[in-house]
Amino acid sequence: MFKSMLEAFLNLFKPLHTGGYPAKEIVLPDGYRGLIEYDGEACIYCDKCEKVCPPGAILFYQQENGEKKYRYNPWLCIYCGECVRACPKPQEALWQSETKQQPALKEEGVNEQWFVWEAACQNSREAYTTAKKAAKTGTNEK
Amino acid sequence: MKKTVQIPLGSQHISLLEPIRFKFECENEKIIGVDADVGFVHRGVELACTRKFEFKQVGYVVARVCGLCAITHSLSYTLAVEKLLGYEANDRIKYLRMLMVELDRIHSHMLCLAHTAENAGFEALFMQIMAQREPVMDIQEAISGNRVQFDYISIGGVNRDLTPDLSALIHKNLAALSEKVDALMMLFDTNWSLSLKYKGIGVLSLENAYTYNALGPLARAAGLASDVRSESSDLPYEAVGYTMVLESSGDIHARNFVRLREIVNSIAMCRNIVDNLPVGEIQEKVKGKPKGEAVVRVEAPRGELFYLVRGSGQNILERVRIKTPTFSGIPAMMEVFKGSQYADAPAILASFDPCMSCTAK
Repeated sequence: MFKSMLEAFLNLFKPLHTGGYPAKEIVLPDGYRGLIEYDGEACIYCDKCEKVCPPGAILFYQQENGEKKYRYNPWLCIYCGECVRACPKPQEALWQSETKQQPALKEEGVNEQWFVWEAACQNSREAYTTAKKAAKTGTNEK
Repeated sequence: MKKTVQIPLGSQHISLLEPIRFKFECENEKIIGVDADVGFVHRGVELACTRKFEFKQVGYVVARVCGLCAITHSLSYTLAVEKLLGYEANDRIKYLRMLMVELDRIHSHMLCLAHTAENAGFEALFMQIMAQREPVMDIQEAISGNRVQFDYISIGGVNRDLTPDLSALIHKNLAALSEKVDALMMLFDTNWSLSLKYKGIGVLSLENAYTYNALGPLARAAGLASDVRSESSDLPYEAVGYTMVLESSGDIHARNFVRLREIVNSIAMCRNIVDNLPVGEIQEKVKGKPKGEAVVRVEAPRGELFYLVRGSGQNILERVRIKTPTFSGIPAMMEVFKGSQYADAPAILASFDPCMSCTAK
């Protein structure tokens, strides 16, 4: 017991375990799983990342001219890296960076905006397929 | 006139941050009857696994059942699905998975020891153990890329490989930890004020451990040799130097010592794995869809974790059943409380290491 009392007394003069946070930044290790980053020019729009994503944080918006637009929700993402492993062109079109995502503020309304975007993506696909079907039947009739 | 008084512990209590309630029937200070209730939170994880997520995504969902033993949950699920797909991982994958599970066991046991010390009124020791636990978390963060949610195991392998730098880091941190664990064993054994709180208190006899189906460190402290690591052949534990840790007295002190000695054993196993890692691929392609039923048992830090997975050849599974160690251990826990003093209840409870986020899934 006296030994542990001595230990407790000596602990007063030891350096802090908790460090200087928040004044000193946390050092992230090499290979930290951070944000998913994307390059639209290299992307071939196979939608594989969208299909494998567990929380559904990657969505593609279908434009009327056939092109797709990538949208990513860093607050929904769990940083598992499944999308990067599924990507046919990893490191070129889609890769995992070591940047840490900052927490969102309530004023930014990230959830509300994302729900709107989710619905828009769903609708855009349905509209695109119906338009395509209509065009196909139209040409057949001619 | 009624001679007993009812005192609840939980669902909100200062020594218990999680939603479980024990209702004690007390005669003066002595507990004579216990009633437990765990149904305060339901997150619907099992149903979500069979409705919303495809079987390849479920591994990441079940990892969110528990923050402390996330790797054990994803490992059990992955093993079950791999059984259904008729795939067996190569040795390198098995060893890397074991490494993560053992690291997880070390830091989970240290957390429990810290909480037991805190609930016995030794706040400084709590801080000390939590600080010593940090290097283990650093290893896990360096290996998997995240501190708590590792997302390390996927169907057909593991997501990252072990580099020479990482091996050096593991050896360095484990060597430092090993010395500190020796000091902790000394402290837990010889400290007089801790012995008042731990020795001979919260005793579970071998007979009761057998009758009430105790599991994990709770059973091993009572002398009941029950450990899935020695019973199941899913992972080659014998090859990396696993030894069963048994104590006989069954009190809080014995439970602490089972944990401390298991930490020592796990450190030895981790060193063996890092030094003798077999060569091979870390990720293999697994084709097909799960059809049939598979049962997997894995030794989580708190005891046996049980998974049942049933698929019908579809992308969405039919049934995922998770039986967690804390839930299975509640009858034995209730038995331990009977006959002890009410003032000891928080320390006894902490020594069970109850994980309510596992139980309320």
